[in-house]
Amino acid sequence: MANDNDTITQGLFEPVGADTQVSEHISGKVVSAWRDAFRRFVTNKGAVISMIILALIIILALLGPHINKYGTNDQNLLWSDLPPKISALSWMPMFSGKENGVDVYKDRGVKQEFWFGTDQLGRDLWNRTWAGTQISLLIALIAALVDFLIGVAYGGISGYFGGTVDNILQRIIEVISGIPNLVWIILLILIMQPGLLAITIAILATNWIAMARIVRGEMLKLKNQEFVLASRTLGAGDGRIIFRHLIPNSLGMIIVNTMFSIPAAIFFEAFLSFIGLGIRDPQASLGSLINTGFTILQIHPSQTIFPGIVISLLLICFNIVGNGLRDAFDPKLRR
Amino acid sequence: MDKLLEVQNLNIQFDIFGTHVQAVRGVDLELNVGETLAVVGESGSGKSVTSKAIMGLNPSPPGKVTAGKILFEGQDLVQYSQKQMQKIRGKEISMIFQDPMTALNPTMKIGKQIMEGLIKHQNMSKAEAKKRAIELLSLVGIPNPDKRVDEYPHQFSGGMRQRVVIAIALACNPKILIADEPTTALDVTIQAQILDLMRDIQKKTGTAIILITHDLGVVANLAQRVAVMYGGKIIETGTIDEIFYQPKHPYTWGLLSSMPKLHAKIDKLLAIPGTPPDLSDPPKGCPFAPRCPYAMKVCLDHMPSYTHISETQKTACWLLDERAPKVDPPKTVGVGGK
Amino acid sequence: MGRYILKRIWYMIITFYVVITLTFLSMKLLPGTPFQNANRLTPLQLNTLKHYYGLDQPIAVQYVKYLWNFIHGDLGTSFQFGNTPVIQMLVAQFPVSMDLGTEAMIIGTVLGILLGIFAGLYRGSFRDWGTMIFATLGISIPSFVFAGALQYCLGVLVQLFPVAGWGTPSTHVLPVTSLAVGILAEVAIFMRTEMVEVINQDYIVTAQAKGLSRGAVVFKHAVRNAMIPVVTILGPMTAAIITGSIVIEGIFGIPGIGKQFVSSITTNDYPMIMGTTELYSGLFIITILIVDILYGVIDPRIRVSGGRS
Repeated sequence: MANDNDTITQGLFEPVGADTQVSEHISGKVVSAWRDAFRRFVTNKGAVISMIILALIIILALLGPHINKYGTNDQNLLWSDLPPKISALSWMPMFSGKENGVDVYKDRGVKQEFWFGTDQLGRDLWNRTWAGTQISLLIALIAALVDFLIGVAYGGISGYFGGTVDNILQRIIEVISGIPNLVWIILLILIMQPGLLAITIAILATNWIAMARIVRGEMLKLKNQEFVLASRTLGAGDGRIIFRHLIPNSLGMIIVNTMFSIPAAIFFEAFLSFIGLGIRDPQASLGSLINTGFTILQIHPSQTIFPGIVISLLLICFNIVGNGLRDAFDPKLRR
Repeated sequence: MDKLLEVQNLNIQFDIFGTHVQAVRGVDLELNVGETLAVVGESGSGKSVTSKAIMGLNPSPPGKVTAGKILFEGQDLVQYSQKQMQKIRGKEISMIFQDPMTALNPTMKIGKQIMEGLIKHQNMSKAEAKKRAIELLSLVGIPNPDKRVDEYPHQFSGGMRQRVVIAIALACNPKILIADEPTTALDVTIQAQILDLMRDIQKKTGTAIILITHDLGVVANLAQRVAVMYGGKIIETGTIDEIFYQPKHPYTWGLLSSMPKLHAKIDKLLAIPGTPPDLSDPPKGCPFAPRCPYAMKVCLDHMPSYTHISETQKTACWLLDERAPKVDPPKTVGVGGK
Repeated sequence: MGRYILKRIWYMIITFYVVITLTFLSMKLLPGTPFQNANRLTPLQLNTLKHYYGLDQPIAVQYVKYLWNFIHGDLGTSFQFGNTPVIQMLVAQFPVSMDLGTEAMIIGTVLGILLGIFAGLYRGSFRDWGTMIFATLGISIPSFVFAGALQYCLGVLVQLFPVAGWGTPSTHVLPVTSLAVGILAEVAIFMRTEMVEVINQDYIVTAQAKGLSRGAVVFKHAVRNAMIPVVTILGPMTAAIITGSIVIEGIFGIPGIGKQFVSSITTNDYPMIMGTTELYSGLFIITILIVDILYGVIDPRIRVSGGRS
C-alpha cells in the first residue's frame, strides 16, 4: 500500500465529513416490475422472433383465403392432386409445379397456379391450410378465454375464501382431473357429434383445471402476506384486496400459464381432427388436412407438408413465447 | 507460534454480466496452529469469499483469483488443481456453513453424510466409518447417536442439524475449521450452545478456527485475534483486546457502537449510516470514506497504508497519519476507549 | 403410510366409479340406436333386440346391470367385429400397445434424464442452449407430424426401416422413436430445471467441502435429489403416451388398442369406444396412484411424515 508521499499534501487532511444523503443514495433507476418484465422479454431474441412469426401466421390466416380467386371448398376434379406451383419461385423444386421431375401442370393442361397445390378433390390447399389455421387460432382464443374466465375465477374463489368452499371445489377438481382429458373429450364429442362446438365445449370443460390450481396456490400464498394484512387492517374489503393486490401480483403467472395452455389446446384440436373426432370435411383443420394427406403421403407428400409446417410453427412459437414470458416475469427460473 | 495458513495479497474477481466485481482486494491473513481468528465485516465485505477461496469453493466461472497466494503449510493452494484440492477439503481444511436447515442433503441419512468424507479420505470400510460417525455424533453432543445416525435431516432441529454439520466438518480431524457465520441462523439460546461446543472441540482437538461473522458478540466469545474487513480489504487487525479496547479505525468504532451492550447507559443503538461500496467500480481511496464521519479529502483518492500500532495490531487509516487532525473515538466504543 | 395408501386407493375407486358411470350415461345419451342398420329393422324386431339387450328396462335397472357386468369383466360386444366381446379384443391388443408404450417411456425417460442432467450442469452454455432448443422442438412438434416426417424420410426416401408393421426389432424403431421424442423432451426440460435448482442448494457446497470428487457430488447428491420430482410427471406422461399411441399406431399400422380405437370411432362401434375409454382411464388412474405411492417411498421427507395432504 505504498503511496507516493509527494502527492499527499497537508491540505488533503481537511475533514470533509460524510454526506449521508450521498451514501444512502440508491444507484440505478427504479424500474416497475411490469417494465422490467417487458424489458427482459424484448431482449429475448427467440421470443421476439417467435412473436413476429406468430403475427405473420395470424395475418396470413386472416387474409390468405381472400387473396386468390379460389374458394375454400371449391371442388374441381380436373385439378386434383396438383403439386404446389408459384411462378416467381419456380426455381425452387418445392414450388416448380413438378412432381418426380414431371411438370404436372403442363401434362394436365392446367393454366392456373396453386401455391400449396390441391387435394384429391381439387380444392386449393393454400386456402384450406389458412382456413385450418383460423380454426387453430380460434381454438387458441377460446382456450385463453376459458383459462382467464373460468380458471382464474375458480382458483381465485377457492383460494381466497378457503374453508368449506375450497374443500368442495378441490374435491370436484380432484375427480375431474383424475380422468384423462382425452376421455372427457371423447365422451363429450360422442354425445354431441364431432365439430367445432363439441371441441369448444370440451375445452370449456377441461382446459381450466391447471390454471385453477395455480391461481388457488397463488391466492393461498399471497393472501397471508403482510401487505395484504396491512391493507385489510386499513379497512380494505374483499373486492379491493382481490383486485388491487391479489390479481395484480399473480397476473404474471396467469399470463405465463395461459401462454402454455394455448399450444396444448391447439394440439388437442389438431389431434382430435386427425383421428376423426374433430373438425370434419368439408371444413378444414390443420389436423384433418394432415390426416387426409397421410393417406397419400408416399405419392403426394406436398399435401401433408404445408399444414404440418404451419401447425409445428404455431406450436413452437407459442411455446417459445411462453418460455420467454416465464423468464421475463420470473428471472429466478431462468438462471 | 507456527504459521498454519498464510493468505498473501489475495485478489478475487467475479465476472458477472460484463461487470468485474472485485470482491476481495489484496487481503493478508495469518492463522497459527490451534488459534481462532475472527474475520468480521458486514455482508458484501468479502469475508465469505475469502473463506471460500481458501477451500477453493468459489464457483468458477464467474469467480477467479486474480492475484495472491494462499499458503497452507507452505504450499500455495491457489495453484492446486481441483483434484489436489479434493484431498485438502474435508481432510486438512473443512468448513461449516451458515444455515443448517439447507446445508444437509435432505434425502441422505445423517450417518452416510458423515461417512462419505471418512471413506474418501481415510480409506475406512463402511463399518468403521459408521462407528466413527456415531462417535462424532456423540462428540458434538447428539443424544442416542447410534439410533440417530440412521435418521434424515428433517428429523433434527436447527441446532441439532448444526451439530451434525460440525460433525461432518470434524470427521477427518482437519487442521483448520472455517466457520462461516455458524450461529447466524440459529435461535439465541442455541447460538450459545453451538459456540460452547466449538470452544470445547477446539480444546479437545487443537483445530485452528477461522470464524467468519458480523456478530462481535460471537467474536468476543471465541476468538483470539480479529481481522476487520470492509469493501474487500482488511482495514484493521489485532488481538481481541486490542480490537475491543483500543480500536483505531472509524469503521471498527462504528461496529462496536452498533453492538448492543447490557449495562450501557445509552438508550439507542448507533447504526453506521450509508451502504457498502459498489465493488464492480471500487473506490480509489479508502472504501469506508463515503460513510466515515471523520473522512478527509485524502481518504477519497488515496488508500491509506497500514500503520503498525503494536506487534499484533495494524490499521489502515489516514487518521493515524501525523498530519491528520486528532480524533477521539466516540464514547460508545469499548470500555477503555482512549 | 399404510393409511395414506388406503386413502389413495379409496380415491382411485371413487374416480373410476365416476368414469364408468359417465360412460354409461353417455351411452344412454348417444344419438340413434345402438343397433346397426336400425332403420332396416321392423319395430317388432327392434323391440325384440331391445328386450334381448335389456334396453326396455328402466335406466336404474340397466345401470345396476351394467355395473354388475362391468365387475365381471363384461364390457359388451363389438359391433364391427361380429359380436366379439370387447374385453376379448382389448386383452388381445393390449400387449402390443403396452410394448410400444413402455419401450417409448423407458427410452424417453432415461435419455430425457441424461439430457436434463447434461443441460443443467452446463447451464447457460452452448450445450445447454442446444439441448433446450432440441427439447422445445420435441415438445412442440405434434407427434403425428413428427411420426409422418420420420416415416417419410427414413421409411420411404431412405429405406432404412420398415414403413409399417409390428414384429421384428427394426419395425419398432420408427414408432418407438416417434412416441419417445415428446417424452424425452418433456423429461429433459423438467430434469434440467430440477438440476439447476438442486445444484444451487447449500448441501451441494457441503458435499464439495467434504472433498468429494465432482462425479460423486453430481451423482450422489445432485442427481438423486433432482430425480425425485421427475416421478410426478409420470402421470401426465401416461396420458401423453395414450394420446400419442393412438395416432402412432394408426400411422405405422400397429395392431394395438390405439389403432383399434380410431377405427371404432370411424365405425361408431360404441361398446368398443367405451371399453377403450374405460381401459385408458383405468391405466391413468392407476399410474397416478403408483406415482403418489412411489413419491412417498423415494422421498424420505414424505415417507416418515406419512404423506402429503
